[in-house]
Amino acid sequence: MLLLPRFDYEEPKDLSEACKILAGLKGNGKIIAGGTDLLVNMKKGLVSPSCLVSIGRIPGLSEIEPQNSSIFIGSNLIVAKLTEFALIRKRYPMLYEAASVLGSPLIRNRATIGGNIVTARPAADLPPPLIAMGAKIKLKNKRGEREIELEKFFKGPGETIIKQDEILTGIILDEPPMFSGGSYIKLGHRKALEIAIVAVASFITLDKPDGIIVDAKVILSSVAPKAIHAVSAEKTLIGEKPTNKLIEKAANLASGDCTPIDDIRGSAEYRCAMVEVLTKRTLTAALKQAKKSR
Amino acid sequence: MKDFSVINKRLPRVDAWSKVTGEARYAADLSMPNMLYAVLFQSPLAHAKILNIDTSAAKKIVGVKDIVTYKEAGTIRYGVSPARYDETMFCYDKVRYVGDEIAAVAAIDFETAMEAASLIKVDYEELPFYLNVFDAIKEGAVPIHDDYPNNIGAEVHQEFGNVEDAFKECDYIRTDRFVNKKQDGGFLEPQACLAYYDMNGNLTLYTSTQTPHYVQRTVSMVLNIPIGKVRVVKPYVGGGFGPKASANTIELAASLLSMRTGRPVKMVMNREQVFMHSRGRHQFYHELTTGVKKDGTIHALKNTCYLDGGAYSSFGIATVYYAGSLLGAPYRLPNMKYDGYRVYTNKPACGAQRGHGGVAARAAWEQQLDIIAGELGIDPIEFRLKNVREKGEVTCNDFNLSSFGMKECLEAIRDRSDWKNKKGKLPKGKGIGVACGFFVSGAGYPIYRSETFHSTAMIKLSEDGGTVELYTAAAEIGQGSDTVLTMMAAEALGVRYEDVKIYSGDTDFGVDLGAYSSRQTLMSGHAVKQAAEDVKRQVLEVLSKRLNIPVEDMDIKDGYIVFKKGPVDFSGIRSYYIKEHRGWAEQPSDDRLTFKEAARIAYIERGTIVSTGAYKPGELGGKYKGATVGTSPAYGCSAQIVEVTVDMETGKVTVDKMTDAHDCGFAINRTNVEGQMQGSLSMGLGEALFEEVKFDEKGRVANPTFGEYRIPTALDMPNVNTIIIESDEPNGPFGAKEVGEGAIMPTIPAILNAIYDAVGVRIDELPVTSERLYNAIKEKERKK
Amino acid sequence: MKRLINLIVNNKAYEIAVAPNRTLTQILREDLNLLGTKEGCGIGDCGACTVILNGRPVNSCLVLAVQANGCNIQTIEGVADGNNLHPIQEAFVEYGAIQCGFCTPGMVLSAKSLLEKNPKPTEMEIREAISGNLCRCTGYQKIVEAIQAASKKMKKK
Repeated sequence: MLLLPRFDYEEPKDLSEACKILAGLKGNGKIIAGGTDLLVNMKKGLVSPSCLVSIGRIPGLSEIEPQNSSIFIGSNLIVAKLTEFALIRKRYPMLYEAASVLGSPLIRNRATIGGNIVTARPAADLPPPLIAMGAKIKLKNKRGEREIELEKFFKGPGETIIKQDEILTGIILDEPPMFSGGSYIKLGHRKALEIAIVAVASFITLDKPDGIIVDAKVILSSVAPKAIHAVSAEKTLIGEKPTNKLIEKAANLASGDCTPIDDIRGSAEYRCAMVEVLTKRTLTAALKQAKKSR
Repeated sequence: MKDFSVINKRLPRVDAWSKVTGEARYAADLSMPNMLYAVLFQSPLAHAKILNIDTSAAKKIVGVKDIVTYKEAGTIRYGVSPARYDETMFCYDKVRYVGDEIAAVAAIDFETAMEAASLIKVDYEELPFYLNVFDAIKEGAVPIHDDYPNNIGAEVHQEFGNVEDAFKECDYIRTDRFVNKKQDGGFLEPQACLAYYDMNGNLTLYTSTQTPHYVQRTVSMVLNIPIGKVRVVKPYVGGGFGPKASANTIELAASLLSMRTGRPVKMVMNREQVFMHSRGRHQFYHELTTGVKKDGTIHALKNTCYLDGGAYSSFGIATVYYAGSLLGAPYRLPNMKYDGYRVYTNKPACGAQRGHGGVAARAAWEQQLDIIAGELGIDPIEFRLKNVREKGEVTCNDFNLSSFGMKECLEAIRDRSDWKNKKGKLPKGKGIGVACGFFVSGAGYPIYRSETFHSTAMIKLSEDGGTVELYTAAAEIGQGSDTVLTMMAAEALGVRYEDVKIYSGDTDFGVDLGAYSSRQTLMSGHAVKQAAEDVKRQVLEVLSKRLNIPVEDMDIKDGYIVFKKGPVDFSGIRSYYIKEHRGWAEQPSDDRLTFKEAARIAYIERGTIVSTGAYKPGELGGKYKGATVGTSPAYGCSAQIVEVTVDMETGKVTVDKMTDAHDCGFAINRTNVEGQMQGSLSMGLGEALFEEVKFDEKGRVANPTFGEYRIPTALDMPNVNTIIIESDEPNGPFGAKEVGEGAIMPTIPAILNAIYDAVGVRIDELPVTSERLYNAIKEKERKK
Repeated sequence: MKRLINLIVNNKAYEIAVAPNRTLTQILREDLNLLGTKEGCGIGDCGACTVILNGRPVNSCLVLAVQANGCNIQTIEGVADGNNLHPIQEAFVEYGAIQCGFCTPGMVLSAKSLLEKNPKPTEMEIREAISGNLCRCTGYQKIVEAIQAASKKMKKK
């Protein structure tokens, strides 16, 4: 049997109380949301915070709120709900795809979108599509709130720019532009309960259904300390008319954009090769969707 | 075929109700008043001398009741095979792998015990350590066990026929190498136990084991308690697959701690400890040379194998034999040579796992045979059909195939999978492959040398005659032995399934070697059948006297007495029974004499009706050295066709379809037989595609979780078309023989052969991860 | 320091004092003696500890008992109605979906949760729904067949 180390537990009723508690803990506390990552690390003895601060009872953090031309997703929303809301499936299919391959149904019923971001795992499923779609996040502390682009949040494995006293309160996703489409593909060993060997999220926007690519995001996951842009692939795509040849060229460039390592799940060489395959597949799927979208 | 009332049907398991409601109790669910909790302290190093063990800080923790090391436990050696007793309860001179047990702490709760264990300090002198076979046997390597200076713990050299001469008669000879990876049992229930040594000097050990009998003997020997004072009880067990088939350290430590403290002591492994304890599948390095004649006749096989055994022998001495002896059997192979070496390394000990010793060898050879068939231009199924043995044949190493439906298995899968329209005709990326399997139905000899019975059984009738109590020490570990033994008892006695209550898995109920080597149905089945037939005889004898009808003119069926020569007036017995049971439930009322009434009469006449049965195999073949490993009263066989899709760009394999035929002799419970087949195939699929216990550079298990050690999920395993072949085994009870292990044999090679059919590459290393296959596909493209 | 929490487990209310580091699995097994909830790995990889928490199946080994305060929990012990098995349980018994039984409680609860949301699932939907519940014994086939049969049986009722 695996035991958890001892810790104190706080359950603030609102955000300002939560911020106050966190500030008082001076870095010795950790926020617990779904706990599917934190509790595992604590049981393995990798972390032992003196206090866990639950955000589970704070109102407003577990909802999806459609706004004018965007949606706000509360950080404590469980991943399963991303797969259940018709709006997500319809408007942000790439996020739906990523959510539905995260862990297992049991994990998805506890793991939260915020947790999947804050833990900053290089192989996390949700950041790639969110970054590809230009998601912003809200961070709050005692003194105020800031809003930053998600891609600027990550520093490396397990490391982010979040301050000791800050809470990730939610994610803001703009409504995708006309003629845009995205796709997320994760390569794992099994079909469930998997951590990606490689994953790619691609998002492209056309000027018109048969037009040129005006914006392209190719996000590579599990091939660098954090999810990264395939910069040269994106450059190659923008301003061009999408063809199979162009996609293949971009895919090939993408594999040069990553800096993977050998680890227990796969070698660097294989990962680079798979970046090419998955980039090609996600771009092809994204393009198909973009041509159809409105 | 005979008309049976209970067996050969699809009856629900006897334990289904308690398992589906959560009532079933497993070892970790047990507790006793005043119980202590104990944990292990294990080595962080792969190979080191122990200089000093300091438990003083740990002892000071409030709530710690006892700490034991080798000083308290002694250093009596134990293991699986007496020829290789190389373990002690705790390490004393040195540690041999990361996880080797050094001490155990008992405290008032787990948390306290864990805290105290973390304060134990050991001074080590580090030694060179070896994480693979070839480093361990290098000149100058430090011996892991002093008795085996070259680190080869066991070696086998066997030759049947004359292989060198035979190769000269062959038209085509090829050599291939193959390697699998160390594999874990992956059972869902971690080992757990609860020991209680009472004031009368009796030790009761409740434990998650496949072999209560062997655990009883080991505990008795190591703790120096008479066997009769040691009772091992197996509660429900959450799977074993081999690794739970011998005594482990927590069983010994909990028993010792209970003896010392006078309190019940519970120990539970966590998942990482399960991986460290291991005793799962060895890593095998096979080199096979096969010679055939141009018409496809298999003529000679030379098999060399190195086994990575880990730090202790466990079942390894049997494994190294099985890796040779089981290989040739399904085919008419006249010449077979085998050289096997089991090597000690500084990793967790390997032991028996489903398909013991034979799985990697079978994968290697069935793939090689596929290559050979291809080279000769013969269809792989035709090639096999040409070579398979049939009932009554004896193999070159003296296995007597008293029943053998190999041909029937092959024909069945061929016809049920549309093989002829698929083989070689599927689009690129899709493939179909075939392979055969073979396994023992119970080891012919116990693991220690003895004339012991392998299984005993006892049946007792309740005083009202209505309930048949079956006592056996057989081990239900999920495979369904309680169910099939209950069914066989009911059939042999002539009562209904629901009239039999089974009590099992307890050494107080008799001797049974346990659940390993696919022996329970055949061996325990014989003992149960014998006991049931004896009860039947006793009841009919009394009835014969009472009614003045010869015994042979009567029978018992479905809970009724059958009078073969027409109606008999039994009204005397009926009114007597009713008078005896005034006010009791379920008085007999129909127009036939019930077994219950007859059994009541028997009780009144003779006292409690009790019978026993006992089984050991008769004379088995083979007089050569090592003939005791592989000879069995019966052999199961199987054939399988697998269809796969390979993603050509990523190398990812999806198994789409499996068609499996298994000759189990006679299916006692058809549902259970299918369940064993499907479960075996799932384990085989995992081993083929995903499963590998990995180690870091320090010798620690790098993936001791189900997240990184991947057993198949429901999305990875397809449905199986399961075909039961019944060849009526003369040495099995009701004609039954094994299904639990042999069924895994063809899966890996069938997948490998299907992959070849799909993409034209041969993989000689397991598991076939997408990366490994991708690299092979690229390699082939480069060579073009 | 211990916290006082309220749980509704199998329709029965409990008030329990718990230390924050105890998981829901521990509370169910050790405090409420509901031993049908199993621990196979302790880190969410196997699903043996599955319970239904406020209508959703979860790994109870990754839920702190204090997090479950005020929640409605169903364990395997709450699935049958007295001596009457739930149709899913009946189907598991009848179709041979059980071998060692260690994954069975979690499997039944994942299946129950699926059929409550999706009474007529496809085979793929069933496999997906139990993909967090590992079974080493059965190869899943008879479990899937049992869930399909239960779905039919429940529809008729």
